[in-house]
Amino acid sequence: MRILVIEDGAKTAKFLKKGLSESGFAVEVSGDGLDGLHLALEMEFDLVILDVMIPSLDGWQVLTRLRQAGRRTPVLFLTARDAVHERVRGLELGADDYLVKPFAFSEVLARVRSLLRRAPQRPQEIIRMADLEINLLRQRVTRSGQRLDLTFKEFLLLSLLAQHAGEVLSRTLIAEAVWDMNFDSDTNVVDVNVRRLRSKVDDPFPQKLIHTVRGAGYVMESD
Amino acid sequence: MSWNLTSSVAPVSRLWRTLAFRLTAGYALAGLFLVFLATASLYLLTVAEMERSTRLFIEDKLHVLRTMLRERPGDGDALREEVELESAARRYEQFYIRLLDEQNEPLLTTPGMAEQLDLEQLATQTGIRPGRTVRMKGRHGRAFRVTTATAPVGSPPTQTDTIQIAIDVSQQEEFLQRYRLWFFSILLGTFVALPLIGYQIARRGIRPVEDMAATARRISSTNLRERILPDGYPFELASLAGTFNQMLDRLEDSFERISRFSADIAHDLRTPVNNIRGEAEVGLARARTITEYREVLESCLEEAVRLSDLIGDLLFLARAESPLAHVRRESVNIVELLDGMREYYEASAAEAGVLLTTSANRAPVIAPLDRRLVQRAVSNLVSNAVAHTPPGGSVVLAASSEDSAVHIEVSDTGVGIPSEALAKVFDRFFRLDSSRSQAAGGTGLGLAIVQSIMLLHGGKVEIASQLGQGTRVTLHMPIAEQGHAAAVPNHHMTKT
Repeated sequence: MRILVIEDGAKTAKFLKKGLSESGFAVEVSGDGLDGLHLALEMEFDLVILDVMIPSLDGWQVLTRLRQAGRRTPVLFLTARDAVHERVRGLELGADDYLVKPFAFSEVLARVRSLLRRAPQRPQEIIRMADLEINLLRQRVTRSGQRLDLTFKEFLLLSLLAQHAGEVLSRTLIAEAVWDMNFDSDTNVVDVNVRRLRSKVDDPFPQKLIHTVRGAGYVMESD
Repeated sequence: MSWNLTSSVAPVSRLWRTLAFRLTAGYALAGLFLVFLATASLYLLTVAEMERSTRLFIEDKLHVLRTMLRERPGDGDALREEVELESAARRYEQFYIRLLDEQNEPLLTTPGMAEQLDLEQLATQTGIRPGRTVRMKGRHGRAFRVTTATAPVGSPPTQTDTIQIAIDVSQQEEFLQRYRLWFFSILLGTFVALPLIGYQIARRGIRPVEDMAATARRISSTNLRERILPDGYPFELASLAGTFNQMLDRLEDSFERISRFSADIAHDLRTPVNNIRGEAEVGLARARTITEYREVLESCLEEAVRLSDLIGDLLFLARAESPLAHVRRESVNIVELLDGMREYYEASAAEAGVLLTTSANRAPVIAPLDRRLVQRAVSNLVSNAVAHTPPGGSVVLAASSEDSAVHIEVSDTGVGIPSEALAKVFDRFFRLDSSRSQAAGGTGLGLAIVQSIMLLHGGKVEIASQLGQGTRVTLHMPIAEQGHAAAVPNHHMTKT
C-alpha cells in the first residue's frame, strides 16, 4: 500500500513517514504543493495525506486539480484550522476525511486504515489470542477454559481491543467506540474501565494481554 | 429658522455642527424676537394712544365750540376767549382754531395760525372728509392734526358756521422719535448681548459633556480606572455619566477577565511545554539506557497530550463564541443520553465509592439538541460531580421537560462550593483548588465549556451549592427553533 504525504512541516512529515512505514506502508513525502500534485498524478498511490497550508499550491488547489485530473485516490486532510466551514469545504472538494492538528498518530493510523478498507471486513465469529477466546456471536469469553464473567461494556471493550490486536487505540477512540462519547471526554474513565477489565481478564493469569502505551492508549497483544 | 448653509458659508456650516453655536443662535434669535416684539408693540400702542388723545382733545374742543354757538350765538366775548386767548396761552400742544361763517369769511382766528399753517391747504385737505382728523405739515415743518367741522348757530339754527381746528403734535413726534432711537439702541444692545450671554450659558451647560469627552479620551485599554464623578451635574447628565461609568465597569471587568485569561493560558501552556523541554533536555544531557529514554519519551507524550487537550478545549471555546458557530440539532432522548452517561461513569464512580444513579422518572424526554455537545456538557458535569464527592456520597442525573424547555440536572452530595466562588466557577481556568484539579487532569475549562454549550443552544446553566452539603447544576435549554438547525449539513466524519 503506497501513501503520499504532502506536508511542508519537516518534523510532521518525518514522523508520519516513520510511523506509517513501520505500520507496513510505503510512504513518499513531498513538502510542496506543485511537487506533491506532480507525484500524485505521475505515480499510483492508494492514499494521499494532504496538509492544507503548503507552499506553491495550497491543499485545496492540489485536491481540486487531482479530482479534475480524474483521480479518485482517497485524500485525508490535515489542518491546524478547525473551522466548520473549512471542514465542509474540504469535504465538498472531495476530501475523504479530515484531521485537525494536534492529532494523535494512532488517530492518523486508524483513519488511514479505515480509508484503505484494511479494517477487518468480514465479521469474525471467534477471536483467539493466546489462551483467550472471545465468541463475538454468543458474547462469551473464556480464558484457559474458564468462563469470564464480563459486563456488556467490558465485553465490548475487550472485543474492540482484540479486533485491533497489535494496534494502539487511543482513549478517545475507545470512549467513542464503546460508550459513544464523541468528544474528548474525561478519559480517566477509560483507564478505570480498562483496569476493571484487566482485573478479570489479565490479573488471574500469568500472561498479560492488555498493555498500556503511556501517553497513547492501550494495545492488546500476546508477545 | 432655516437659512442657507451651503458650501459658500462653510465656516458657518462647520460652526453649526457645534452644540454651543446652535444653542447660542437659538437663544439669541428667540431673545431678539421677543425684545423686538415687546418694544415694537409698546411703540405702536404709544402711537395709537397719542393719536387717540389728540382726537379726543379735538372732539372736546369742537363740542365746546358747537355748544357755545348753539346755545349762546351772540356771546362774542366767550367765543373770543375760547378761540383766541386760551389757545395762545398754551405752551405745549398748542392748538389753533378758525371760525368761518357761511360765506367762508373768518369770524375768529387764533393769533399766529396763518403764520403757522397754510390756511388754503388746510381748507382743501380737511374739506374732502369733514369731521375727520387729518395729518398736515405746518409752514415751519411742524406736524399738525387738523380737522374741519360744521356748527349750527343758534337754537333753532339760523346759519351754519365752519370750525377749523389744528393741533400742534410736533412734541409728540419728537417723543416718538426719541422712543424709536431708544428702541433701536435696545435692539442693537440685545443683538450684541444675547449671543454673548447665550454662548456663556451654552458653554456652561455643555461643559459636563466636554468633561465626559475628555475623560473618555483619556481612557484606553491600559487605563480603565478613570471615572466621571457625577456630583454637581444636572440630573440628565448625571444619569448619562452613570451609564457611562457602568459601561466602563463592564469594560474593565471584561478586560480584567481577558488579561487574567491570557495569563492563565500562558501558565497552563507553559507548564507542559516546560516539562517536555526540561525532560528532553535532561534526558539528552548524557547517554541513557533504553528504558530511561523510553521513560522520557512517554512522559513527554503525556505532556503533549495534555497540551493538545488544552488546545482542543480552548479552540472549542473560541469556536463557540464565533458567530459562525452552529448547533447540529437532532432528536435526542435525554433520558437515554443520561443512561449512557451513567454507564460510562459507573466504573469510575464505583471506584471512588460514589453511587451514580439516574432519576427514577423514566418518562422519555425528547428534544432537538446537538447530541455531541449536550453529551459533552453533561459529561463535564458528571466528571466534576464524581471528582468532588467523597466516598459514600451519591450523584443523581435527572431530566425533565415542559412546553418550551428541557432541563438536565446533575446533583451531588459532594464538598460543595463556597458562595463567594460560585459566581466565578464558569470563568475559564477558574479552579477551586488548583493543585487537586491539576492532579485530576482538569484544564479548568470544563464549566466554561458547559456554559458555552448552553449559550449555543440558547439556554443557560444554573448552579446552586452548599458547602459540605453538595452542588446542583441545572441545564436549561429552550426547544423553540428547530427549523433553523435542520439546514446545516451534517458531516459527521470527524472526531475532535
